[in-house]
Amino acid sequence: MFYFLVAWLQNHLLRLHLKNRPVSPVGRENLRALDHLSLFQPARSYSYVVVDLETTGLEVKTDRVLSIGAFRIKSGRIRMGDMFNIFVNPERDIPSAAIKVHGIVPDMVKNAATAGKALDEFLMFLGHDIMVAHQAAFDLAFINRIMSEHHGFELQNMVVDTVPLCQQVILPQFYTPMRRHKRLFAGRFGHIPMQKNDQHSLDHIANHLGIQIYQRHTALGDALAAAMIFQRALSRMEKAGQGKLVHLVNAGAL
Amino acid sequence: MSDYPLPQVLDFLKKVAPFNTLGPDVLQDIVSRAEIAFYPRGEMLIRMGEKSGGHLFVIQTGCARVTITDESNEEILVDMRGEGEFFGALSLLKGHEALFNVCVEEDLIVFLIPRDVIKSILNANDAFKRYFDSALARNFKAVRESADHKRSLYTPENKLDIDMFLTGKRVSELMAGDVLTCGLKTTAQQAARKMKQRRVGSIVVTGDTGGPAGIVTDADLRSKIIADGLSLQTPVHEIMSAPVCTISPRAYTFDALLEMSRFRLSHLVVIENERAVGIICEQDFQIEIGSSPVGMIDDIDKSTSVNSLVGLRPKIDRVLEMAMRRSGSVRPMVALFAELNERVAKRFIHLNEREMADEGHGYPPVPYCWLAMGSEGRQEQTLLTDQDNALLYQDVPDGEDDQVKDWFLRLSRRVVDALDRYGIPRCTGGIMAGNPQWCMRAGDWEKIFTGWISDPTPFALRMATIFFDFRGIAGQLEDAAGLRMKLNGMTSGSKYFIRQLAKNALINKPPLGFIRQFVVEKSGEHENELNLKLKGLTPVVDAARVLALESGITTTNTMERLEAIADKGIIEPGFLSEVDDAYDFINFIRISHHLRSRSRGDFMNNFIDPALLNNLQRKWLKESFAIVSRLQEKLSIRYQTKV
Repeated sequence: MFYFLVAWLQNHLLRLHLKNRPVSPVGRENLRALDHLSLFQPARSYSYVVVDLETTGLEVKTDRVLSIGAFRIKSGRIRMGDMFNIFVNPERDIPSAAIKVHGIVPDMVKNAATAGKALDEFLMFLGHDIMVAHQAAFDLAFINRIMSEHHGFELQNMVVDTVPLCQQVILPQFYTPMRRHKRLFAGRFGHIPMQKNDQHSLDHIANHLGIQIYQRHTALGDALAAAMIFQRALSRMEKAGQGKLVHLVNAGAL
Repeated sequence: MSDYPLPQVLDFLKKVAPFNTLGPDVLQDIVSRAEIAFYPRGEMLIRMGEKSGGHLFVIQTGCARVTITDESNEEILVDMRGEGEFFGALSLLKGHEALFNVCVEEDLIVFLIPRDVIKSILNANDAFKRYFDSALARNFKAVRESADHKRSLYTPENKLDIDMFLTGKRVSELMAGDVLTCGLKTTAQQAARKMKQRRVGSIVVTGDTGGPAGIVTDADLRSKIIADGLSLQTPVHEIMSAPVCTISPRAYTFDALLEMSRFRLSHLVVIENERAVGIICEQDFQIEIGSSPVGMIDDIDKSTSVNSLVGLRPKIDRVLEMAMRRSGSVRPMVALFAELNERVAKRFIHLNEREMADEGHGYPPVPYCWLAMGSEGRQEQTLLTDQDNALLYQDVPDGEDDQVKDWFLRLSRRVVDALDRYGIPRCTGGIMAGNPQWCMRAGDWEKIFTGWISDPTPFALRMATIFFDFRGIAGQLEDAAGLRMKLNGMTSGSKYFIRQLAKNALINKPPLGFIRQFVVEKSGEHENELNLKLKGLTPVVDAARVLALESGITTTNTMERLEAIADKGIIEPGFLSEVDDAYDFINFIRISHHLRSRSRGDFMNNFIDPALLNNLQRKWLKESFAIVSRLQEKLSIRYQTKV
């Protein structure tokens, strides 16, 4: 709850700060992303966009986004046709180690949208929805960097990470406690301390929950898997009487 | 939208019947309008009696339990659905309340496909629709079967508590356990003493292996020891009835009753693992229900005059009605029906023969055989039936024929009259043994059959559809069997006749239009109604007859014919069971309609207004008609009737 208040406060300070400055329509819209949220409404009543990025590597400063995939969840259901899928031109080379993971070769992205354009499209898809990602700090850091470059401020939407959610509501006995990276620090130091801990990986959790990943290491495939994990977490929380937005914020918001 | 970016999702759906029949474009459309939902174990997804949520549920992972709740709030398992199966179709497509509960057995990930998506595919894709229809039919059947395990789901206007008793109970609940037994060498007197001690009417004789070898009842002691004057020391194995008729303790009491009725038994031995564990007798039923088909048959067989037999009709009707009311397959009911009607006819023949002798007309001049025709010949009569019969007597020289024929006509007219009084009306077409045309020597029958076969005029074909279903029911049954053999010899050799008969069998088409809507009568008294018999059942009966006559099958019952035809490999067993279901269902609707008309005091007919059926019945009726159409297609191809 504390984090939500901080985010809310920051959002309003930012709005004051930008009051008399030129902001693009997409950016201005994003500034209002928290307005409709009310902590004591059921979490299920909100829309969520579960997102996954494929990148050229793990360094936020030097690596670039290659593709963005996302599905929307409404009323707790993943809408199969309501998705976002775009390639991004990294305007740099793709290390072969990365190609080995996601199979995106330069030819596939050389005519794709630039990062700024892709981001704006994504922002339009995202709207005011709550953003969800698996190990969200990583994806958020990349998005925020592009955001800052093009709009001068960071993503204002509420962001939920599925990893701590899993830790707390799905498989508490299954995990050793993990240090939580809060949004305030995400990407600030240029480096995301990725947990190389296998038990937080998408594969591992999906496998444990019996969720099939349709296309591992594509933005859209991973996003769908993350969406199914999030869906499961939501259901678990409701069953435990923790179905309000505040519970979700406490358990997994960045 | 071009290709769906996650082709693996489409691949999943491609493995799910009936989605596997759809093209990639349609699948893409489905997926992009679908949603994925998760439901935890224990969640109740659909409640019986509630409206559909507007989705079809296709299971991607997990398992769901489909149940119904009976009146005592007990859950009865109908089905389990797992990966790649769907549920929720019934209420989704029919728009009525759900017939089942669906509860999550193992955490479920389901694809939710909205109603309008499914509906638009149903309209456009026939294979898809067929699958859905038959899946719905299976569902419906499952309800009926599950309900049978407990009690019938609904018994509207049910006044006889008999129903409950029959549908609900199993043999084990009604049987007397702790069977009285004795060895093969026990004397009759010892057995009788044992029975007296225990105050029971029967004793099971166990063989050397310990299994039941026979049964001795009060009646055996009376008729064999006392009446025949055998020694009291006669060992029981000489007087016992053997082999014994047995039934499983898990069988329904109704089946026991049917078994006893058909074989005219007063006792059935209940066995498990080849040991007698109980005995069930007629009295057990009578105690509970007052009368039974078994008692009925006794009454028929023991009636001493035409008048007294005519007077039995209301009682017989009540038993039949009770049997028909039992929701479930109509086949055993129709069999019981046929059985009772046949016994009545037999008894009338016997009584009239005796009365003729008493009145000084003498005895039958030569052996004869009473032939049942049409539906009676096929053992397919229902409440709404008329007389179709004929008489065959052994050959006599031409000079004596007039006199002999006179005697048989006199007998026939009396029998026809008695049947009419009993409530089986005369045939409007005059196909009755009392008509001189249809009361003749075996040789004459052969001649007339030969004539029809060699020159299949429309009249001959019409006659063939009635007469070629003949079956001897009283008198010299071998003569009827002989005529049947000769007929089969003639028909199987006559390709031309068979083809004409096949063409004739295709005249009555199931009343389904091009877009599978019902085609109702366009004018007349039954405007906007469906003729279930002529358009639904007759095509099956006709097709079975053609195929049976072609391949030398001697039975006359339609389903028995089709089974024999399937045995010969002419139709596939899978299709046979579909036809069986379809025929059964059309008949079920028809007979329910008869019962309803009769309870309202209306005239019974075979016309039904489809608007009066519920959605599911309509749907299933359409599916049944479609199966009948397919049978006709097969017939048309086999005999190349379109050329």
